[in-house]
Amino acid sequence: MRRMLTTLAATLALALPAAGRAAWPDRPITLVVPFAAGGPTDVVARIVGEHMSRTLGQQIIVENVAGAGGTTASLRVAQTPPDGYTIEMGHMGTHGAAPGAYPDLKYDPLKDFEPIGLAAGTPIVVVARKDLAPKNLKEFVAYLKTSSEKLNEAHAGTGSVSFTTCSLFNSITGAKPTRVAYRGTGPALNDLVAGQVDYMCDQIVNLVPQIQAGTIKAYAVALPERSPALPNVPTTKEAGLPEFEVTAWNALFAPKGTPKDIIQKLNGALVKALEDQNTRKRLLDLGADLSNKAAVSPDGLRKLVESEVPRWKKVLASAGTSKEAPVKDADPKK
Amino acid sequence: MDTLFTNLALGFSVAFSFQNLGLAFIGCFVGTLIGVLPGIGPIATITMLLPVTFGLEPTGAIIMLAGIYYGAQYGGSTSAILVNIPGEVTAVVTTLDGHEMAKRGRAGAALGIAAMASFFAGTFATLVVASLAVPLTRLALVFGPAEYFSLMVAGLAFAVVLARGSVPRAIAMVLGGLLASTIGTDLDTGAERMTFGYAPLSDGLDFAVLAMGLFGFAEVLRNLEAVEHRDVVKKAIGTVLPTKADLRRSIAPVLRGTLLGSVLGILPGNGAVLAPFASYATEKKLAKDPSRFGQGAIEGVAGPEAANNAGAQTSFIPLLALGIPPNAVMALMVGAMTIHGIVPGPLVMVKSPLLFWGLIASMWIGNLMLLVINLPLVRLWVRLLDVPYRLMYPAILLFSCIGLYSVKSAPGDVLMAAVLAVVGWALNKLEFETAPLLLGFVLGRLMEENLRRALAISRGDPATFVQRPISGALLAVTVLVLLAAVLPAVRRGRKKVFTE
Amino acid sequence: MAVDAAPPDPSPPNAPRVLVSKDLLAGLALVVLATFALWASARLPMGTLRSVGPGAMPRGTALLILGGGVVLSVAAVVKGGTPLGRWSLRGPLFVSLAVAAFAFTIRWVGLAVAGPLVVIVSGAASDETRPVELVVFAIVMTAFCIGLFRFALGLPIPILILPGIVTI
Repeated sequence: MRRMLTTLAATLALALPAAGRAAWPDRPITLVVPFAAGGPTDVVARIVGEHMSRTLGQQIIVENVAGAGGTTASLRVAQTPPDGYTIEMGHMGTHGAAPGAYPDLKYDPLKDFEPIGLAAGTPIVVVARKDLAPKNLKEFVAYLKTSSEKLNEAHAGTGSVSFTTCSLFNSITGAKPTRVAYRGTGPALNDLVAGQVDYMCDQIVNLVPQIQAGTIKAYAVALPERSPALPNVPTTKEAGLPEFEVTAWNALFAPKGTPKDIIQKLNGALVKALEDQNTRKRLLDLGADLSNKAAVSPDGLRKLVESEVPRWKKVLASAGTSKEAPVKDADPKK
Repeated sequence: MDTLFTNLALGFSVAFSFQNLGLAFIGCFVGTLIGVLPGIGPIATITMLLPVTFGLEPTGAIIMLAGIYYGAQYGGSTSAILVNIPGEVTAVVTTLDGHEMAKRGRAGAALGIAAMASFFAGTFATLVVASLAVPLTRLALVFGPAEYFSLMVAGLAFAVVLARGSVPRAIAMVLGGLLASTIGTDLDTGAERMTFGYAPLSDGLDFAVLAMGLFGFAEVLRNLEAVEHRDVVKKAIGTVLPTKADLRRSIAPVLRGTLLGSVLGILPGNGAVLAPFASYATEKKLAKDPSRFGQGAIEGVAGPEAANNAGAQTSFIPLLALGIPPNAVMALMVGAMTIHGIVPGPLVMVKSPLLFWGLIASMWIGNLMLLVINLPLVRLWVRLLDVPYRLMYPAILLFSCIGLYSVKSAPGDVLMAAVLAVVGWALNKLEFETAPLLLGFVLGRLMEENLRRALAISRGDPATFVQRPISGALLAVTVLVLLAAVLPAVRRGRKKVFTE
Repeated sequence: MAVDAAPPDPSPPNAPRVLVSKDLLAGLALVVLATFALWASARLPMGTLRSVGPGAMPRGTALLILGGGVVLSVAAVVKGGTPLGRWSLRGPLFVSLAVAAFAFTIRWVGLAVAGPLVVIVSGAASDETRPVELVVFAIVMTAFCIGLFRFALGLPIPILILPGIVTI
């Protein structure tokens, strides 16, 4: 029955190519967000999507499909018909780190998707409890060299942004802390504020209020330039650790095979949204990073993904936690 | 104290604007209407209604959200009482005696007392939030992983008290809940635990799915079999509002519940979830005739509802003062605030006092709205029971399916609920109760995660649980409670054996 | 089952006590559940106190459940238990079938089909159902839900998807 319908659909689509195409978009577009409502990616998607729907003249409906670090949603989008009516707000995790974090990932960020353009990045900040001895990043890195084993690093669960980015940080600095897992950033941050754990890496959005209030201290922002949200916090480059440069980027992707002209239209609407003063301000107020202009184009985004996938594969392969627990092969079925 | 009143006055001046009052009313009303649909719990309700607030300016949006939040909570209690379908953890307790009251034709009294208890607790807790938010934050920070572990162990002791029937079976069900909570990707190592390669399981079972399948759908199945049983519900509506005697009985439980809820709600690690359970256990212990509990005792509705609402209120403290959401519903609220450009955190109070105090004032207004909207509506809700069950249950199933699907747009969640329905039905047949299982499930995850965290931080020294004073005290209390509960049973059990 | 091990009938005079009882089945169910969980979590490392492994909690609780199951079963065999009673499969069959039907159609065909499906299939679970009334009710309820959730609240729930013909 389903095959019959599909055949019928294909015939119809062939019969009416011009009519079908010219009218795009003639119904609302679904923007899949691979995380729960309210997270940093969701916020970026809603702000950008709102402006894009004005340009496209069709509503963009945000659909939150949370699960398995965003890979559930990405797989689903990869499998939807490439008609331009379903797009995804992909993420450093789903389209960068996932192939390294999930060995049996069922989609390929490059082969199964058409890049549309980078929307906004969220800078990563290295923070510590307010009474930890080192005063700046240099001292902290030196401290890690001698006594990282005494320290507790908090992260929001294996595969989360805080886990992957801090894996990179630890591999660069050679730190071997006890890594303490929390269910989400909130509880991890709570214990950092309370001084139960010593440091963590996380997205700026979550941290700004705490850093401004002085309940935790920020060592560095992992960006080439200082973030306007935290003008007093040095960049990793300034602080002498230029290798640690990372953003949790959010970018639009469509399923592979989406017609080029639709990708162009979507990219045009995205560019227009990012040029809009009001949209820019809302994003910047949240601490978002809009400095990577090159990746706003489809080709630029493709290059970004091409460089991110191998980078995270390497980091995560060597990131074995300080506890010798085997990762990922524990399922009796595998 | 002066500043408190100036601040509250400031808040009310914001909240009492015509527009904001209107938004609070609409939020509460719509939240109640959606939340009352059986099978659509507070999380689904808030997820659904979140986008409605996007077009508003921040203060108005937050006020409306607060309204939606209270409305959704109360709507959830309503469906728990009327059709025994809890939409969230805390409503499980409400079903125990609330639905029993409904079966005895006292649905109106149960709904009425729930609204009044919530209002009282809400008012008290709002005052707590307004006056003590800042100092209480420090209490929240004293609780580390070791303390949470011990608190959760204490929480498990309540599960035994919840049991209506056999205690060993209740313990087995609590353990079953603990076991179910371990399904999914391990937080610490990323190992897949008992997922059998089925992708929708990799994030673990969702509470809403478990509660709907095991408890909600199983309830439908039980009703389908027990035809004569249902007619009792339909027949006698009785007095619609609580009587004077009801109120007299409820006063002390409401006061105790309010206090319990206020204290537990402050803990940022979702301590509020324990509040209704703790209140129910307390009331059952204190009652002259504990056997009335589970048979429609109004104290079993009044106390937990007060505790629930007080906890819901004071859990705004960690949210506003620390910026840390203690549970899924609050995480949604943070998300909503972020979308409006307000990131909750220690500085919200200083940086946007109008918003902060406006929100606190609107919390109280939200509670008032609940009372105003719901007391007249109680009659309407009770009339819903007139819908013949042959039409009621397909509607419950339809709403539940939509509610389950809408949270994550995941058909897999709906499918799991279908399987769990059969499991829940079989458990009922074998005289296992599912409420302790749900409690075990909720506490299990918190317990395991905090155990592992505490041991990691102490580098493997279990003495940490006893050496840390709060943790040690909590464990000591648990041991005492368990001894008090178990010893008489053992003695009685022995006697029984001997008489045989 | 352990029929041979039947003890002398210990039933008190007031309630019928039987060997193949709810209690025995409940105990055995726990034993089966625990054994299954032990098997399923067998390859998860237990870890050390310093870093508790992912296997510790599932296996720990499974062992406790196993113990509980054994105690319940033995007690049921020794003392006898309450009879099994009537197990009608009709309710659970049609209710979970209805919910599963919803799960399989909502994303791919839409609420306009999934809605009536869940109402009508579940209707088969009760003998009080009146077919015509149920069909009308299914249509009305589905229309109500589409109006409420899709149009009033704007949720991304598919209404009707017929590939190439219509997508709402």
